[in-house]
Amino acid sequence: MSLTISGLTAGYTREVPILSGVNLRAEEGMVTTIIGPNGAGKSTLLRAVFGYLKPASGTVEHFGRTVTGLEPEQMLTEGVAYLIQGRSVFPSMTVAENLELGCWTIRRDRRRVLDALARAYEQYPRMAEKRNARAGSLSGGEQRMLEIARITMTNPRTLLLDEPSVGLMPSLVEEVYQQIGALKKAGYLILLVDQNIRKALQIADYVYVLKMGANSHHGPAAEFKHRLADIIKEWI
Amino acid sequence: MDFSLLLDPSILLELLAQGLVRGSMYALMAVGLSLIFGILNVVNFAHGELFMIGAYVMYFVVASLGFPILAGIAAAAVVLFVVGMLIERVLIDPLRRRSGRGWLLDAFVLTIGLTVVFQNLATELVGSRRQGLVEMIPGSLDIMGISLSYDRLVILAATLVVGAGVWLFVRYTPLGKAIRATGQDAEAARALGISVRQIYMITFGIGASLAGISGALLITIFPAYPTVGMLPAMKSFAVVVLGGLGNLPGAIVGGFLLGIIEAFAVFFLAAGWQHVLTAALVVLVLVIRPQGLFAVQGARP
Repeated sequence: MSLTISGLTAGYTREVPILSGVNLRAEEGMVTTIIGPNGAGKSTLLRAVFGYLKPASGTVEHFGRTVTGLEPEQMLTEGVAYLIQGRSVFPSMTVAENLELGCWTIRRDRRRVLDALARAYEQYPRMAEKRNARAGSLSGGEQRMLEIARITMTNPRTLLLDEPSVGLMPSLVEEVYQQIGALKKAGYLILLVDQNIRKALQIADYVYVLKMGANSHHGPAAEFKHRLADIIKEWI
Repeated sequence: MDFSLLLDPSILLELLAQGLVRGSMYALMAVGLSLIFGILNVVNFAHGELFMIGAYVMYFVVASLGFPILAGIAAAAVVLFVVGMLIERVLIDPLRRRSGRGWLLDAFVLTIGLTVVFQNLATELVGSRRQGLVEMIPGSLDIMGISLSYDRLVILAATLVVGAGVWLFVRYTPLGKAIRATGQDAEAARALGISVRQIYMITFGIGASLAGISGALLITIFPAYPTVGMLPAMKSFAVVVLGGLGNLPGAIVGGFLLGIIEAFAVFFLAAGWQHVLTAALVVLVLVIRPQGLFAVQGARP
């Protein structure tokens, strides 16, 4: 089962497409990372897949279903969750409220919500301890942990991670990547964009390189590890 | 000025009662204004006109159609909820898609335009004659030497019930939490599947509905006429500044506080002074404590 992007063209205005004809295939149980110079359209690709901007052309298929141009709400129902770039906890709400809001699309199924909460607290004991604390009072690392826990509440099959380690100090980056490693082991399909290319390549199974909004290279991560210096030099 | 009058408990109580009734109006208006600002980032200049429509709805339902008081208040609440949602979806939502950094000003100007439209529409449709009710429920309660009309008690009780209801709704229901989440970070709310457009529409509807309820409740004091909303709107802006933008409990407490201050000002000073006092208070708060008198750090609705 996979997430397949074919010929995707999208942009914030009709005249200037940021992505032009991007193709990508990410497999279940693997981490696929997208790398490329600044402004290559990596984050835009995730946003276009999740419905934050409408593709002008091209298709997105998820586990055999066409999901091109769906709204975020529908993408979640299709089993795709998205970690947006930057801080995204609701600071003046509690940890528990933040997790409950992660259940928004399944809110009518009380049983599922309670199960999801119980599962999150079991998996992240620190969140259970601080469930009544305001999310804004958590440390930067804890907030990131909450954000990642929050996008798994609806039991998605695919996680789109946009810059999960940005703005964190090195020891916390390590922690976040352990968390992503655990998600990989749990069988999620993960599509990862991160400025920390070294960490992204360590965890990735497959790599796509984007340049100027179009495909450049792609291949198994192992091939990229020793070519990394060359690739980055090429960008500069 | 004779401050020895303050020692007379019946005068003190009478002023307090007057202040609380006046404050009820300010509080409900300010809660709606604060909610709309806190969640949609819209300074709704037309809030007074929503109050005005509420007053007219009350008048027509009760005086013209002969329905009971409660039906009038409920009708005002429902009509304004719908009107508010329409204003949001038809006018504010398209503006949001086009407007960028100038959003706050763009939206503000739009609502100023709405004020003009609503006032003139009212004049054309129903004329500028004052249309009010003499009383909602006849009779009064006599305690401690003063007489509190049932109307005043109804206004006060209804404000407290509605205010507390809104607060509980926003605080504890899933929809209320989604509303708060959207106010704090719309982009993040959307990533969790919350339809931000719908939240904006519903929130504006709720805020408008509160203004409508306020207009209906105060029909015995402020009869319906096209510009009746201007004073309550101005005062609720003052209350929002006092209570802190986006702070709902602050809006309620601030509303009652301003009402009481004004009641005493009217009694002890010449009539014009109450408005000077209000304005001075607002300026003072803006200079000394711009986050509002009751702001908790980082608190938004």
